[in-house]
Amino acid sequence: MIIGAWISVFLTLAILSYLYKDNLFYKVAEHVFVGISTGYWTSMFFWTQIQPNLFGRLWPATEYDASSLWYKFYNVFGVFSSVFPEGGIAKGHDMHLIYLVPFALGIMMLLSVSSKLSWMARWGIAYTVGMAAGLRAYGFLNSNVIGQIKGSAFQLVNSNLPYFALVGESIFNNFVILIGTITGLMYFYFSREHTGNFGRLTKVGIYFLMISFGASFGFAVMGRISLLIGRFVDLIHYSSSTYNHATLWILLIMVVLLGYSAFMDKSAPIEPPAK
Amino acid sequence: MMKYIIELILSIGKVDRRWIFLVIGLAVLLPLFFPLGLPIRATNATQRVYDAVEELEPNSKVLVSFEYGPSTKPEIHPMAIAILRHLFTNSQKVYVTCLWPDGQFMAEDALTEIAEEEYGLTYGEDYVLLGFRPGNEAVVKGLVSNIRKLYTTDARGTLVDQIPMMANVNKVKDFDFIFSASAGYPGTIEWVQYAADPTGVPMSTGTTSIQVNDVMPYVQSGQVKGILAGMPGAAEYEALIGSPGIGTSGMDAQSIAHLVIVLFIVFGNITYFIETQRAKKY
Repeated sequence: MIIGAWISVFLTLAILSYLYKDNLFYKVAEHVFVGISTGYWTSMFFWTQIQPNLFGRLWPATEYDASSLWYKFYNVFGVFSSVFPEGGIAKGHDMHLIYLVPFALGIMMLLSVSSKLSWMARWGIAYTVGMAAGLRAYGFLNSNVIGQIKGSAFQLVNSNLPYFALVGESIFNNFVILIGTITGLMYFYFSREHTGNFGRLTKVGIYFLMISFGASFGFAVMGRISLLIGRFVDLIHYSSSTYNHATLWILLIMVVLLGYSAFMDKSAPIEPPAK
Repeated sequence: MMKYIIELILSIGKVDRRWIFLVIGLAVLLPLFFPLGLPIRATNATQRVYDAVEELEPNSKVLVSFEYGPSTKPEIHPMAIAILRHLFTNSQKVYVTCLWPDGQFMAEDALTEIAEEEYGLTYGEDYVLLGFRPGNEAVVKGLVSNIRKLYTTDARGTLVDQIPMMANVNKVKDFDFIFSASAGYPGTIEWVQYAADPTGVPMSTGTTSIQVNDVMPYVQSGQVKGILAGMPGAAEYEALIGSPGIGTSGMDAQSIAHLVIVLFIVFGNITYFIETQRAKKY
């Protein structure tokens, strides 16, 4: 637990040290992050999907028959017993040999590393692109087009609503939504030049978009500050005696080393400019 | 005097950006040591999430999806904790899925802290961690059609058929409510598009601040019942359930940091204005 805290503090401070300048600590933390993320994702994908849901459907324990050719082939891989346990894979599946198709497509995608066989990867990519396009088209049409049109269709002047309210529904806010929606859509109509009255309306649309971008920027800042708060809370927590004052020690060592590095850089002879 | 002030503002405008980092750092750090106790009031969007959870009958089946990792933990984890606390207080059955691989770690962490240690609930009877499955929106679509095809085992390797609370739970329509704790893709939007809208199961969400603008149209149209917007959303929810936590403790720092950033933006704009006026003049 203490080692974990020290590693956590080191990596946090190493990443934050980039605010001073690019340095060795930052580079180490960056490379460790990339390496560990890749390893973690790969192992997670393998053990939650490929092993149970792919291999588990090709060689299920429920249909294990050591004398069949299919399971004899399976037993060849028995040396990797954690992946291919004896007696088949017991993950609650029946045998579905149709899964050989995605298995083959997956292997073909991996062949993109070979210059001679990389063309085979296109099949897998084509399947993925086609499937994703079809799946997304439905989702966007249903929720983003139909759902949003439904949401925008409301009674403009409703006697039950107040004339004005800063938060919540009001007649004034209904008009704001109406004008914002129409002028915003007009701005993205490019078949007519944005001049004259049409241009003035599209300008109103731009103002609505700019307010939206401003809100996005504000939210982005808020998010980053929240993350900084999270790291500071951890750093404060790890500065306690329970963790042998990890934050204070690592901060001190880093400041001294970065300071020494900066001092050495300054004292190094200045290279003459290249001729 | 005026000339001196203008020169001072201009010199502030030219300050090394590392001083600005330091000031922001201090603005965040100091309120964490010396809390100001600024008031927290729930916004309409947060209140709607709370009301949606309150409207559920006891023993309702609630699907909570964890779509975040350590990088967004400070924003999403407090709201995940608060939502779990609220659900367990109201005796709901919680089913946890993860569309992000690191979401499983976050879910384990939150369930251990709340379900096991705080409420002493029984795994498999009161809550279950189904775990992570890769496939993004295809996973959501799979959950809508047949959960058992996608999850034959839970995150602990137990066969789903052997888990008591999984009886009669076969697809998303069998749930009474969905909550997505989301930090990006895949997340809230995919749950709206492929689960909530097609099935009509009500859903709420908690997202990172940066996602709020993307998700807000769904909230405005009623496709999503309220939203917990970043750390302030979590703090507001903690206030509503009467259980201050990590979200609440960070709000003073958040407010002060925002104030400092606004001041920097104002100074930056004044500097820009003065410089452009000078450039025109000479």
